[in-house]
Amino acid sequence: MTQKSLGLETMAPCFQGLFPAMLYTCSADGVPNAAYLSHVDYVDPGHVALSFQFFNKSKRNISQNPRAMVAVIDPDTGQGWQLQLRYVRSETSGPIFERMALRIEAIASYCGLKGIFKLLAADIYEVLAVERAPEESAMREAPAARRQPPDAVFTTRALQDLAFRIHSAECLEQLLDSILEGIEQVFGFSQSMILMPGEQEGVLVTIASRGYAETGVGAEARFGEGIAGMVAEARKPIRISGLMRGMLYALAVKRRAQEAGLCPDDRRIPMPGLKNPESQLGVPLLVRNELVGVLCIESEVPYRFHEEDKTAIELLGSYLAIAIQNMLLRERSEASEPEPSAAAVRDAASAPRRAPLCNIVFYGKDELIMVDGEYLIRSLPARILWKLLRMRHGEGRTEFTNRELRLDKALNLPEWKDNLETRLLLLRRRLEQKCPNVRIVPRARGRFALELGCEVTLSERP
Amino acid sequence: MILNVITPELAAFVEGGVSIHIAACTASLEPSGGRVAAVAVDADGTHVTAYMPEAGSARIVADLQANRQAALCFGRPSDDRACQIKGEFVETRAASPAEKTVVDRQWEAFLADLALIGFPAKVTEGWQTWPAIAIRLRVTALFSQTPGPGAGAPMQ
Repeated sequence: MTQKSLGLETMAPCFQGLFPAMLYTCSADGVPNAAYLSHVDYVDPGHVALSFQFFNKSKRNISQNPRAMVAVIDPDTGQGWQLQLRYVRSETSGPIFERMALRIEAIASYCGLKGIFKLLAADIYEVLAVERAPEESAMREAPAARRQPPDAVFTTRALQDLAFRIHSAECLEQLLDSILEGIEQVFGFSQSMILMPGEQEGVLVTIASRGYAETGVGAEARFGEGIAGMVAEARKPIRISGLMRGMLYALAVKRRAQEAGLCPDDRRIPMPGLKNPESQLGVPLLVRNELVGVLCIESEVPYRFHEEDKTAIELLGSYLAIAIQNMLLRERSEASEPEPSAAAVRDAASAPRRAPLCNIVFYGKDELIMVDGEYLIRSLPARILWKLLRMRHGEGRTEFTNRELRLDKALNLPEWKDNLETRLLLLRRRLEQKCPNVRIVPRARGRFALELGCEVTLSERP
Repeated sequence: MILNVITPELAAFVEGGVSIHIAACTASLEPSGGRVAAVAVDADGTHVTAYMPEAGSARIVADLQANRQAALCFGRPSDDRACQIKGEFVETRAASPAEKTVVDRQWEAFLADLALIGFPAKVTEGWQTWPAIAIRLRVTALFSQTPGPGAGAPMQ
């Protein structure tokens, strides 16, 4: 039965890569070929794009004979569909190619296959007919056939609602938390995280997360690595709905290797993440083309993020980026508070100390801090904590200002955009998670106290 | 030496419960294809019988009768091992009730392999396997299709 009235635009779930598609071609002398295909993408009501990743028999056949058939499966209903196609052209640039390439690269990066699993071209085909595959019928209790495209998630109204929720944030920490809380309450995505550029160029650091057993605060992603790193590199949103099963297998292999201890512990904090994400969305947070951060959202439900949401998602990214950057500027401008009073210093210094003991070791060469033998943090936040602990230990000081940290040449903060407030927030959150007996407590704008809930011993090693 | 006979090891793979698709085309070079539920390889490896659900077979059978060329693509979901068998159409007939056991066994094994990678069972519940058409092919060439180096190369 020909389903001309169904329309390609209502078949979005079939194009999410949840099931590998099957491409049928035949050579000029009539030898047929069947091959798996990683991506079929919707182009317009009359065209689809097929991923061209390898010079193979299918590609040779198409160069001889433009007719093809691609079979896809609707993951909602189980219904198989056969699309009769005619090859039109190959695109190696432009929005369709870039969208497909980004998705493919993101999956490749996620699985450690970057550079191997890549898109050579987006092959555009005219769709001549769409037919049901008779042997792949829909499940018995299949949802009613779609007559409309799936509901958009990121509606203007939802964006307004989120904006309203984050307006009242007083500081960066509140702002980041209210963004992630809003994303759960307004859009229904309960797993999300925000990464911001780290001290080292080309590295993102997880600064806030929501919905994960391990917060992963402090976890790093290099540009080009994983969804967040890909977004940072490309500065474009990435939407992966239904991570391909084959790619999940690669991940499983990697995980098993890690469980078996085959992958060395490189003292890195693991990224937060769902074990089996079905949909992932990465949004660059850009202000005038400057990357303020990356927002990542995950879901265990396939294809939660639709093509129709793309514009709204970019809008969301810009809005959040401006909100975060404004807050950073505000915190920095208001951080020039005077030195803490001597009375405050003495009062806090005389606070009673309690057992147990906490051993803190600073490794100078690697610039990292271990607490009771467990990794805490490295780089600038480690240098800051070490300075604070030593000052507290040596001089009895308990209150500090952001300003004095900025002026301390030994900390080696960059003069322009030092992101000190972000580093302090990161440090505070890592301490809350891994060493609750050492606390950084905000006292006023640009001023904080270092509180100890137990006796600490400090030692320095190369 | 390039193979055009299915070895016992390859027969065990293709009969072991994998995803199978058959490709054909019309005389005017319009490709057709569909899902196959199971296969049976002759003891000497020179012929293979594909059991295709009758529901999806009409166009394939017509194309095979017109053009006589076929390709069978096999893929195991859990490890992506894949291969292709090219064949020349010999005959088609209704599968006998005795052959249903072969179809059921391979189909169950295929579903079990899908389950290994967390594939939702309800998606395949409407897919048909029986009644089936038996399509007999003479093997003409064998190709590896496992992703990576060597994909698409003739089997040695």
